[in-house]
Amino acid sequence: MVKEEPEFVNRPDNTAFTQQRLPAWQPMLSAGIVIPGFVLIGLAFIGIGIALFVTSQNIQVLEKDYTGVELNSPCYKCSDSNVKNCECKLDFSLDKLFEGPVFFYYGLSNYFQNYRRYGVSRDDDQLSGDLANFKEPSEDCTPYQYDSNNSPIVPCGSVANSKFNDTFELYQIVNGAKKLVPFDGKGIAWWTDYNVKFRNPDVVPLRNAFNGTVKPIFWSRPAYELDPSDPANNGFVNQDFLVWMRRAALPDFRKLYRRITEGDYATGLPAGNYSLEIAYNYPVLSFDGRKKVVFSNVSWMGGKNQFLGIAYLVIGSMCVVMSMVMLIVYAKFKFPEDE
Amino acid sequence: MAKEDVESGLTWEVRANSRHYHKHKQKRSFLCFRWGRYVDNVVRSYKYSPLTFLPLTLFEQFQRAANIYYLLMVVMQCIPAISSIPWYTNTIPLLIVLSVRGLKDLANDLARRRSDSQINSRPCDVLISQSFSTAQWKDLCVGDVLRIHKDQIIPADVLLLCSSEPHSLCYVETADIDGETNLKYRQALAATHDELTSEPSEESLAAFDGVVLCEEPNNRLYSFRGQLHWRGQSLLLDNEHILLRGTVLRNTEIAYGMAIYTGADSKILRNSGKLRVKTTQTEKILNRAVIVIVLFLLIAALLLAIGCGVFASAVLTRIEVLSALLVDGNSIYTAFLTFWGYVILLSPAMPMSLYISFDVVHMVHSLFIGWDIEMHWEQTDCPAQARNTSLNEELGQVGYLLSDKTGTLTQNRLLFRQCCIAGEIYGDASISAEETEPMDLSWNPFSCGGLFMSAPRLVERLREQQCPDSRQFFTALALCHTVMAEWRKEAPVYQAASPDEEALVGAARELGWVFLSRRRECITVSELGVTRQYQLLALLDFTSKRRRMSVLVREPEGRLKLYSKGADIVILERLQRDCPYQESTESALELFAQACLRTLCVAVRSVPEVLWEQWSKTLAHSATMTTCDRDILLEELYDVMERDLQLLGVTAIEDRLQDGIPETIAMLRQAGLKVWVLTGDKKETAVNIGYSCKLLDPDTRLLEWQELRQILQSPDPGVSFFKARQTELWAVDRETAGEKTAVVLTGPELAEFAERPEWATTFMGLARHCQSVLCCRVTPGQKADIVTLVRKHTSSVTMAIGDGANDVNMIKTAHIGVGLAGVEGGQAVQNADFSLAQFRFLQRLLLVHGRWSYHRIAFFLRYYLYKTCGFALVHIWFGFFNGFSAQSLYENWFIALYTTFYTALPVQCMAIFEQDVRAEGSLRWPELYKVGQRQELFNPLVLSATLMYAVYTSLVLFFIPLGVFYNSALDYQTMAVTVGMAAVFSANIEVVLLTRYWTKFNIAAVCVSVLMYFICTRITHSPRLFQNSPADYFFPGVSDKAFVDPVVWLTALLTAWTAVLPSFTVYALNIILTSHDKHKVHSTSHQPVVLKSTKFNRGNSARRSSYAVSQGHGTGRLITSATSIRSTAPPVDEKVTTSKDLTDSQGQIHIKENNNGPSYEKLNGTSKQMNHDR
Repeated sequence: MVKEEPEFVNRPDNTAFTQQRLPAWQPMLSAGIVIPGFVLIGLAFIGIGIALFVTSQNIQVLEKDYTGVELNSPCYKCSDSNVKNCECKLDFSLDKLFEGPVFFYYGLSNYFQNYRRYGVSRDDDQLSGDLANFKEPSEDCTPYQYDSNNSPIVPCGSVANSKFNDTFELYQIVNGAKKLVPFDGKGIAWWTDYNVKFRNPDVVPLRNAFNGTVKPIFWSRPAYELDPSDPANNGFVNQDFLVWMRRAALPDFRKLYRRITEGDYATGLPAGNYSLEIAYNYPVLSFDGRKKVVFSNVSWMGGKNQFLGIAYLVIGSMCVVMSMVMLIVYAKFKFPEDE
Repeated sequence: MAKEDVESGLTWEVRANSRHYHKHKQKRSFLCFRWGRYVDNVVRSYKYSPLTFLPLTLFEQFQRAANIYYLLMVVMQCIPAISSIPWYTNTIPLLIVLSVRGLKDLANDLARRRSDSQINSRPCDVLISQSFSTAQWKDLCVGDVLRIHKDQIIPADVLLLCSSEPHSLCYVETADIDGETNLKYRQALAATHDELTSEPSEESLAAFDGVVLCEEPNNRLYSFRGQLHWRGQSLLLDNEHILLRGTVLRNTEIAYGMAIYTGADSKILRNSGKLRVKTTQTEKILNRAVIVIVLFLLIAALLLAIGCGVFASAVLTRIEVLSALLVDGNSIYTAFLTFWGYVILLSPAMPMSLYISFDVVHMVHSLFIGWDIEMHWEQTDCPAQARNTSLNEELGQVGYLLSDKTGTLTQNRLLFRQCCIAGEIYGDASISAEETEPMDLSWNPFSCGGLFMSAPRLVERLREQQCPDSRQFFTALALCHTVMAEWRKEAPVYQAASPDEEALVGAARELGWVFLSRRRECITVSELGVTRQYQLLALLDFTSKRRRMSVLVREPEGRLKLYSKGADIVILERLQRDCPYQESTESALELFAQACLRTLCVAVRSVPEVLWEQWSKTLAHSATMTTCDRDILLEELYDVMERDLQLLGVTAIEDRLQDGIPETIAMLRQAGLKVWVLTGDKKETAVNIGYSCKLLDPDTRLLEWQELRQILQSPDPGVSFFKARQTELWAVDRETAGEKTAVVLTGPELAEFAERPEWATTFMGLARHCQSVLCCRVTPGQKADIVTLVRKHTSSVTMAIGDGANDVNMIKTAHIGVGLAGVEGGQAVQNADFSLAQFRFLQRLLLVHGRWSYHRIAFFLRYYLYKTCGFALVHIWFGFFNGFSAQSLYENWFIALYTTFYTALPVQCMAIFEQDVRAEGSLRWPELYKVGQRQELFNPLVLSATLMYAVYTSLVLFFIPLGVFYNSALDYQTMAVTVGMAAVFSANIEVVLLTRYWTKFNIAAVCVSVLMYFICTRITHSPRLFQNSPADYFFPGVSDKAFVDPVVWLTALLTAWTAVLPSFTVYALNIILTSHDKHKVHSTSHQPVVLKSTKFNRGNSARRSSYAVSQGHGTGRLITSATSIRSTAPPVDEKVTTSKDLTDSQGQIHIKENNNGPSYEKLNGTSKQMNHDR
């Protein structure tokens, strides 16, 4: 008998997809895989943790608070906000070589650079060199959009306005004489910041672009005169300005101020006495803030970071412990006591 | 007179042939105003019109709490003062959600419009100015005179005026309305019959000017009250004069009628209930979860805003550089704005993409149902279809299946499968009808197939004329019935009111006893080619009370014989004493009952001439009496005659079930579903079907109303129920007591529940323990009431399945309605959420698709809420470290893309492809289905655990990077990328853990998502985009730096791993603890569900003898009064030829019989042994 295959118009397609029979891998994990897996992951984490911890331990850090809260602090005199152009000197000594390259940071705490209304108070168009926004800064910059005379503020906004303006000079005391430790301020900001995000307008000389504008209220010098020593380091691409403009994530932060990479100090700071001269301008005491300076060398993982290594160790050990628990559970389950 | 009518409630006035009168009063509506009285005959099941679509759909959609919330978000984001993330992150998704939903609703509505117009444009003949012209249903108007042809569906509730049949009789099939399979007759008033049948009918019908006064439109299917005022006469009308919309005219060439109720006023549409918007349990829980989450977010935002105010006044004022930022120098106003800022910032915890993805998943699941080749029925080329695409997961949670019987469980085909004559059983019902070896009936010229019984031995005996009992048996079958024979193509075509009778007469025909024709007083039968005329003296008709019928005939030889057939109990108690074969016949009855066959006993009595004379006199006398007295007298008279019967045998008819019914029901019961049968058919049939489809076990005891009533009335129904059951079953165990009990109720009894709500509660309490509940004689409205009852008193999901218009209401009322496709009209399918071709496909729909959908959607929703909450709640913790300033911890683009590009694909794939157990496994272990019934995978508890886990994840996501970034030179933007990376990693690891079924799409989706994160981040961080729009892309170069920073990577890795560690642990513990079971499900080969071989308890004999005649009177009255008898006698010359053929073929058979000799002996032997064994 010839059986003709009847034609079905409505017959669904018989494909793996429509019939939900796609070839698939169904991992059938068993205790034999899961428990060793856990142990392995745990061990890997412990391994990473140890590496991180050791690396972190090898990083030398020297942190000095110079807020001047304590009476015996050399900067105590400057903590009075009425004192202008105050300078103070921070002396310290190194017992052994502080290996280079040494990074020099300033740190602020209890300082909310991540406050939203603070963060948005800037004009990215202006900062990328758009002259139209020199005349009329963006609304975002309020209340630092125009000054009391209704002149546009450039750079506008509260981030720029609050730029950190303490300056530091480090001297090594060699036989009683001060020897300046050269700071390298180049390239401390991000490349994209001074090439893309922040651009000076194409006006020569730069100061002409700022005609009809005023400097931010807290600033002592206009933007085009931030670094008298290096004409290229002025305006919006000033490295210190850029570093400041890159907001910190959390209220306790440090920002790179200089690197010590030159001359006698390329290999690091030799043991000896040092004196850090600070031009104390930036007020933090009003909100219980702290200012500090940090000397640190770096490893492959950046600055000292003990938390990460310890966290890895903790989580790794937890995994191992967990696998032990699982093993016990498994044993109990598989070989019940009454057997 | 009019006043009287008002008092009697007959206020609905319909004038024949006066269109203008009714048109004038037609019901119209504009917006919400309605006026007029008579509706047109148009079915409108659609919701929208072009004008109302937009407002209505928006109104419906904004009833969802989530949509309102999103709208609020969108509005707020347009306010610059509080906008913490840009406007497009919420507006575009909201527009997509609204338009997708709207379009889906529109498409559904258009489909409804199409099906409506299909029904509305069906043709019918309407009398317009003296002639019938074809019109469409929708043009029909109250008072119109219609012509209805044979096999046409009646377009409105119509008063029968006259028909082409004698006495204006006509037959209708009401299976679509009440599920009864037998034909019902309707008869026109004598007055209209006499006046209107004169030829040409058009003229007289056009002149018809009667006025009908009747009840207002109502939903009572079985009653009608009215009067016809015509030519000064007032004639009473009742249900017998009415043809209901949706019934089909049968066995009647033409019927003329006048439309009384049209369209929405017709009884069936009044019964069809309202279209409701169905939402699933899961969606309800989700909605509650949404509200809880939104409230939580608002409270969190409020607390954060308070924090902001405190911070602003306590700290901010002291920071010179920040104090100027206080809005208007007012910290309270700042806090107020911050509140809204946080509301917006936290809103991604409840993303709209959840609803979009949810809809997509639903849609794909629905497509899968339609694509399933195993739910495609080749016979009608009909695939399954999900008409409502948002109920899929509920298919995995069904607790109660409420099924129609006729057409759903049964095929509506009755087959003569076995018989027992003189104590000997012929045929074997254990072999399915299709596999039965066809007998050689070529000797019988009248044979036209349709006998699924193999009993060569019986044929031999019949033809050898050696067994007078078997001959008598078939003579009885050929004589004792109310079937009409119609001659078509030289063969009698039987038209029976009951399919049982048709099967019996048909079987007799196949075996040589051919009922040829019937005249008022004689029946012509061809017995093995010999034509004999029996004089029909009396027909003692069937009623549901008598449960038997008899004919009294005079044989051609002159002897008087009474042939009876009826339910076994009734016949057996009327047998003469010491009737031979009684014992063996009774055991045969049990055997048949075991095979779930419907049995009828056949008996004969030789009536002495004296008795007949006496009897007929009394009968004649009774005709003069009043109806009431006559009925009593007739009862007695019949009783006198139907005595001292001699048992001939038993017929066994199989009410053909749909394919695979017992297996499906057994599987569904194993899966923990309660299957209830709701039918308009009578009790006996329903119970019989209950047993045959394995819904009831042979030892299941039926609890009927009397007993149930006592239990319900008792002070402590639960206790008395179990007591009653336990004593009866000797069962100590409570559970088995319930499991072995089924409740049988009928419509009127159910009506009592409406009066006593407390009974309904107790009843449901009992029904939960029972194996099943059978509801018989219920109207469509009552079917829906039962569904409502179950919905009200249990938390289970109900599913209603049916095929006819009578099931529409319950299909609409149940959580899920399933319509069986294939029946003409397809009303059930139109209103159903899912349509199937066969009942047995339910197992796949529920156990495979439903279970998968439930699993997939439960995991999908849980995961979705986890990933979005885990990611968004980070902002709460970050608030503590940024002065509660509503600072976002992520880049805007990351927020916008996280839920869609970076994490949506894998979960989408999981929700589409996931299979915890393959289809075969799902069917092999129906018990797995119980997970859904108990809502184990998606309930408030599980959901809150998920949300707690999300909170944990958000804590980890924030605090580990916090530890790393605290007091470091790393900036905010790097931290944003780090936390974002960790969030993407943890979300993707989590979905990897959830996925158990890795197709290539899943693998690709995970890879693509993670890659997408890196690619999109690089793109949105690209300097070029920044140059184009600094405000939108203000992260230039961040990822370049961050992605090469080992600290970022190590932090993200640690964070992600810590975030998913609990879930990993649970996963691992799960594997360790359940590995044995899992392996079993996946690897062991298990026997497929086998029907338990039913052991028959001799003690609780459950013989089921029944007969599918309606509850009311049979049609015997019509036959004896000869109202419906047409001349159907076959032409004489043909008869001669047929008998010639017969003799020829007889000769041939003789040769054959010799060959069959030994086997016959053997068969006989085994059968005897069988009888003996039992």
